[in-house]
Amino acid sequence: MWALVLFEGMLFTLYFAVYMVCRVQSPELFLDSQALLDPRWGVLNTLVMLTSSWSIARCVQASREGAYEQALRNLALTFFFGLVFVVLKVAEWSAEIRQGLTFTTNEFFSFYYFLTAIHFIHLLVGFAVLGIVAYQLRSPARRSQQIVETGATYWHLVDFLWVIIFALLYVMR
Amino acid sequence: MNAAFEKRLLVVWLGLSAMSILQWWLGARHGEAVLAASAAITVSVLVMALAKVWFIMREFMEVRHAPPLLRRLVDGYLALTGVALLGIYCFGMAS
Amino acid sequence: MSAITGAGSARPGGLLERIAWHWRHDPKLELWLALAAMVLFYNLYGIVFFLVANAQPPPDPAWELPRVQQWFNDNHYGLPIGFGIIFIVTFLTAACNALIAYSMRRMSVSPAFAYAYFIIYSFSAIPGMLLTCIALVVGAMRPDRDPELILWLYDLAFMAFDGTMGVFLVGTTIWMVAILLDKNRVFPKWFAYLNLCNAMTEVVVAPAWLFTDGVFAWDGAITWWIDMIVFVVYTGCFITLLRQMILREDFGSGPLPELPAAQAATS
Repeated sequence: MWALVLFEGMLFTLYFAVYMVCRVQSPELFLDSQALLDPRWGVLNTLVMLTSSWSIARCVQASREGAYEQALRNLALTFFFGLVFVVLKVAEWSAEIRQGLTFTTNEFFSFYYFLTAIHFIHLLVGFAVLGIVAYQLRSPARRSQQIVETGATYWHLVDFLWVIIFALLYVMR
Repeated sequence: MNAAFEKRLLVVWLGLSAMSILQWWLGARHGEAVLAASAAITVSVLVMALAKVWFIMREFMEVRHAPPLLRRLVDGYLALTGVALLGIYCFGMAS
Repeated sequence: MSAITGAGSARPGGLLERIAWHWRHDPKLELWLALAAMVLFYNLYGIVFFLVANAQPPPDPAWELPRVQQWFNDNHYGLPIGFGIIFIVTFLTAACNALIAYSMRRMSVSPAFAYAYFIIYSFSAIPGMLLTCIALVVGAMRPDRDPELILWLYDLAFMAFDGTMGVFLVGTTIWMVAILLDKNRVFPKWFAYLNLCNAMTEVVVAPAWLFTDGVFAWDGAITWWIDMIVFVVYTGCFITLLRQMILREDFGSGPLPELPAAQAATS
């Protein structure tokens, strides 16, 4: 799974680098467009993602200590925060689209929708991964600590990618 | 759960959250009519983001306890990302 | 060093004799031929598309008609010759797909994975290669064709090639899931994750339908260049891993044994 973390990390770094190159070529356009975003969505989503990472880290530790009920509770919390992120993101996109800001509006918004959408896809895959972890934790016959940790590693990947996206799209100027 | 570990995770989470709010505050308009560009804010916000990723990896992903090779790969990845993003930004804005 | 006849006997020396022996006795012959077909195909593909036909990296989608016509004129010979070669060697893709499907049959997962992959990838040659070749050859065939048609063929060719990845996306996902579920250790798990990475790059080509310039156009940094880097790494990896699979193959149905060097290293 660390192989994936590094592959996807490198891939996203390439995407971020392309974004940065485009940004420095049209700084006013990007800045003016960025001003149309509401950073409260961004920071809220960041806090939600960080909390979900926290809860899955707690889940891994609980599982390691054999406290499987606690682990499942933390996993449920992770799932919940993931859902909150989904709802917030979709709400934000809807609001922006209603304002007329779409994928083809300008270069900044192309990047905005592109980066947040590809992150969103990774998040959706993350739900499947959480499902696999839940499946493992529920039955004493399974409970592979390795699978639990592998799943958690993937979730943290989704979290840290968002951390960088937040900085690049919402707050840097 | 192991109390020390739980406390450590809590501290990390609080720290990450605080940094996020700080980044938000830095990037926000403070009564200005328009959003103004600022290299200082951009650089500090990006450095903070990379620091957050580093903490997520070291604490949540437990890279602290990982074999040296993985630690070096992770540090290398972050260094590469940092150099790429900050380098492109600084070089691009200067010219 | 005497030449003993019979199955499993010592192989004779000399290159031609060794080849003849393998041709007659090697149980893995078909696998090696399939791998050779795969290597040959990808090399030809690269040489034809990049050098002979000059169709990759793709030309600019923002070009106006006169420039497009000039491109066809410049490649008036390269396109039919290069793609003529492709039309002849397309059959090699069947061997490529078969070898990959075979790898899934060797796994502990349901045969449905292998069959689904094979069926899907059989279709992939159409949007992924042949449609483009046909459109470009037709475009190059009559330089005095109606210019609007030439532009249409140009758009069709490159959108089909660089903008359609659905088939590959599904196929690579099937392979990924098969590897993750496999208990026979045919491939290392990291390769399953590389399939996920590859799948992601196949999703990002979708914006090519919306833009004729910039990083999201069919020749853009995001939709082409980064995708090509990932694709080359991915292809290099799976060719190497398939070769290792063939070396390790014991025609059983249990876990695939490791290569002798790896066993020595771990013992």
